[in-house]
Amino acid sequence: MLKADKSLGIVFFPAFDWAISPTHPERQERLLYTQDQLREEGLFDIEGVTEHKPDVAAIEDVERVHFCFPEVSAVTTRSHLISAGGAMKAADLVMQGECDRAFAMVRPPGHHAMKVVHGARGFCNINIEAVMVEHIRETYGHRRVAIVDTDCHHGDGTQDVYWHDPDTLFISLHQDGRTLYPGSGFPHELGGPKAMGRTLNIPLPPNTSDEGFLMVMERVVLPILDDFKPDLIINSAGQDNHFTDPITDMNFSARGYAALSDMLKPDIAVLEGGYSIQGALPYINLGLCLAMAGVDYSLVREPNFSPELIRQDARTTAYIEELCRQLPALYFDPPPYNRKNDVRQGVISGNTLVRQRQIYYDTDGINETQRETLFLCDECRGLLKVETRADSGPQCLGVEIPVHACPDCRSRGYQIVEDAQLKGNARYIQLINRLDRDYLRVGF
Amino acid sequence: MLLGIDVGGTHTDAVVISLEGGVRILASCKVPTRHDALLSSVTEALETILGQVDPAGVTRLNLSTTLSTNAIVQGRTEDVGVLVSAGPGIDPHNFMPCRNFHVIDGSIDHRGNEVRALSPRQLSDAVDACRANEVRVYAAVSKFSTRNPRHENAIRRAVLQCREEADCEYADFVTSGHQLGGALNFPRRVATAYFNCAVWRLYNHFATAVERALADMGLGHVKVNMLKADGGTMPLTRSRRMPVQSIFSGPAASVMGIIALTDIFHDSVILDIGGTTTDIAVFADGAPLIEREGIAIGSHPTLVPALKVLSIGIGGDSVISVSEASGTVRVGPNRLGPSVCLGGGQPALTDALNATGACAVGDTAASRAALEALAAAHSMDATALARAAVDYATKTIHNATRDLVDEINSKPVYTIHELLEDKRVVPKKVYLMGGPANALKMPLFERFQLSTEVPAHSGVANAIGAALTRTTWELELFADTQRHVLFIPSLSYRENIPTSYGQRDAEKDAMNQLAMQLDSMGVFLRPEDAQITHSSSFTMVEDMEQVGRNIRVKSQVRPGVVATIREG
Repeated sequence: MLKADKSLGIVFFPAFDWAISPTHPERQERLLYTQDQLREEGLFDIEGVTEHKPDVAAIEDVERVHFCFPEVSAVTTRSHLISAGGAMKAADLVMQGECDRAFAMVRPPGHHAMKVVHGARGFCNINIEAVMVEHIRETYGHRRVAIVDTDCHHGDGTQDVYWHDPDTLFISLHQDGRTLYPGSGFPHELGGPKAMGRTLNIPLPPNTSDEGFLMVMERVVLPILDDFKPDLIINSAGQDNHFTDPITDMNFSARGYAALSDMLKPDIAVLEGGYSIQGALPYINLGLCLAMAGVDYSLVREPNFSPELIRQDARTTAYIEELCRQLPALYFDPPPYNRKNDVRQGVISGNTLVRQRQIYYDTDGINETQRETLFLCDECRGLLKVETRADSGPQCLGVEIPVHACPDCRSRGYQIVEDAQLKGNARYIQLINRLDRDYLRVGF
Repeated sequence: MLLGIDVGGTHTDAVVISLEGGVRILASCKVPTRHDALLSSVTEALETILGQVDPAGVTRLNLSTTLSTNAIVQGRTEDVGVLVSAGPGIDPHNFMPCRNFHVIDGSIDHRGNEVRALSPRQLSDAVDACRANEVRVYAAVSKFSTRNPRHENAIRRAVLQCREEADCEYADFVTSGHQLGGALNFPRRVATAYFNCAVWRLYNHFATAVERALADMGLGHVKVNMLKADGGTMPLTRSRRMPVQSIFSGPAASVMGIIALTDIFHDSVILDIGGTTTDIAVFADGAPLIEREGIAIGSHPTLVPALKVLSIGIGGDSVISVSEASGTVRVGPNRLGPSVCLGGGQPALTDALNATGACAVGDTAASRAALEALAAAHSMDATALARAAVDYATKTIHNATRDLVDEINSKPVYTIHELLEDKRVVPKKVYLMGGPANALKMPLFERFQLSTEVPAHSGVANAIGAALTRTTWELELFADTQRHVLFIPSLSYRENIPTSYGQRDAEKDAMNQLAMQLDSMGVFLRPEDAQITHSSSFTMVEDMEQVGRNIRVKSQVRPGVVATIREG
């Protein structure tokens, strides 16, 4: 019988009773054929590969990460909490040493969910990777984490959650934002002033195939990971770069995905997008599982797969080679934070950074206006304040005291919440205090 | 009158049960099992027991035998030609069960579409190679054959070169993977088809001999059923093509025995404590739990449905040992002949139970002397040693039971509904059977802290279970309204369906087919015994259009007994 080189825990939660709408790509059927393929291959009979049931994330697990307005239960369903709980379970399997690696094959996905949540963006309500990472940090101690997002769409939500966090390296490979939702993820997006270079975006041209993805992994991602030396590598394993995906334009193959995973060697992978549910997902998921378990995946391929038909052209290769030349410097030698007169990117005046943003929730059709203030502190990563209002609701306030906050930032955080209660105009106020693990909600 | 025979490792037990005017055991007997001549053990048991009743009144014989299991364990199986079509995925050579194994190019996908036809040249080469090696039985297995058996049918045709085995000069028997059931798992399908072929000839010889022996005894009219590992029976004629289903039917007989002898409503633990092993089974809400996919034969997981039974090396004949270093007393997992009280050489658990006064089996003085000798060698007190041995045995059984329940409770679930229901198995009662059951009742009660019961007749519970077990059958139905096809793999049944075919239609069809199947086997199906165990319907969407439904329904006759015996 087959034996896994690395023990792999698989948390499979296909949410067979949840859909956005009957014909939406994110619907009940999405993991059906994956389940069939994994079962038919006898994946769970491989020694060292085990299947586990997901946990259910608690309200507190979500509130450790997000400012949810008006409240967590209003912006999530049970499915979202189980999906996030599935990722948490995968993390627990690895952190407690039960498995070398884990793959949370869960839906609904989460990487478009930002720090503030008023509803669903890009089929995502809560950021399941972020809920998982902060669960790890709260339960097992603070860890340096690298999240490599291989979904075809820019992981704008995860980028936003970790924008100011120097301990989280976020690398997103995606189809160029000029050609695909959400239209962000450009190389100049490098993180906030306290975390410059901790966000790295690698926008790839349409029709990039195996060659381009693996080149970027080898020349950009792996050297940066080597330097960052994370305690944990997490793969936001979106699968919509596949050449058959109906909503994207890339030419990645199942075996390419497996090879990428083999190079990345993630401790934990969390499923994100991927909507070619018949022609791609069953084969990509099988390839990923085998690669993570260290089992031969060389015979995994799509029906009628022909590398010739999807090969990227010379111009694409040349363009990606140029990206590989230029991008590493953004991490190894980030430019100084120098934003002037651009309220969208943030303006530094005195010791505060202020960003004004407008965010559109495409799935729920909500417009949000947001004013984010980061108190730039020399002692810690700084206190974060977000004043936000969705067109659907009242003014809300979120305050986050970061994990290694200094006493000044800590007391200023409480001061802001108290002031807002007394004389502010926020209907809902949420405080995340990671230093003392104090999570406060006012006005709910 | 119903006859039940259980061919066990040590004894062959037989009972005759009357269902007229209440369920009664008319006769029972135990004869030694002769592993080299199983049929003679069966006939001896039959002759013994039929001397006590009128043979003309016997209507049914249910038989449980270790024949196939032993043949596999001892390697007395036949060479099989295994021809598979795998397509892309894990390299099928990882699942190679034997040397005449051939992978033929070709591929069928998860919806049942043929992506690539079988290579005719490779297929004929493989058949030629097997024939050159004088192979006479074949397994034809393809990936996703439960969605479309096209490749398996092609392999079968290539092997036989004609329609039926009877007309074929090259081969005697072909197992097609899809006929083993609708479950998905290609490696298990390969292993199951292989084992089915490997024991086919041996099993059929036995079946023929049993029929002849019955005829010789004037029991030609008796309907014979074979016990299966899932706690059901199948008619002997049907079992001739499915001998693999008779594997590991022993533990099933004891579980069915417990069902016949007691009223189980709660989550419970069943402990069948034999000479060599203790079989642990778990009941949830009064029903035995089953292996999710199928039982493993050796290191090969198969698709053979089976009750979930954990076997551990603790039994009445398990030897007692004392660690030189720590003085820790252990029991099992080895058996070195019978206990001292029954003429063995090394003190075993039964001797310890004799010494503590929990029972009085055989020569109790010999037990005492053997324990004293062992205790003296380690500067211990014999009574303390005996107690420690019993403690160790109950602790091991308790731990194994707890692990089994934990494993059951961590099984994955697939919908929000299932997860929130969150049914956990929490045993509230322990049922004991087997030789040392009475002696271990109090020690196990103290360990488990749960109500502990030893049912009456537990000595021949296996045979009672065999006698009263009813015929079960299960089938899976797949419908794809986009492709307008309905398929029941185990019956090789295909039908065209209209676009409007729905989940309710599928459930109705699954139940009807189940009833028809049983009817063709001469079994009357009571509606309350049949049930739908899985039913799902997924809307399939292409280009934002609903193009059809993918429906999966599984129906079964619940494992159970035809009658129960309640006494004392």
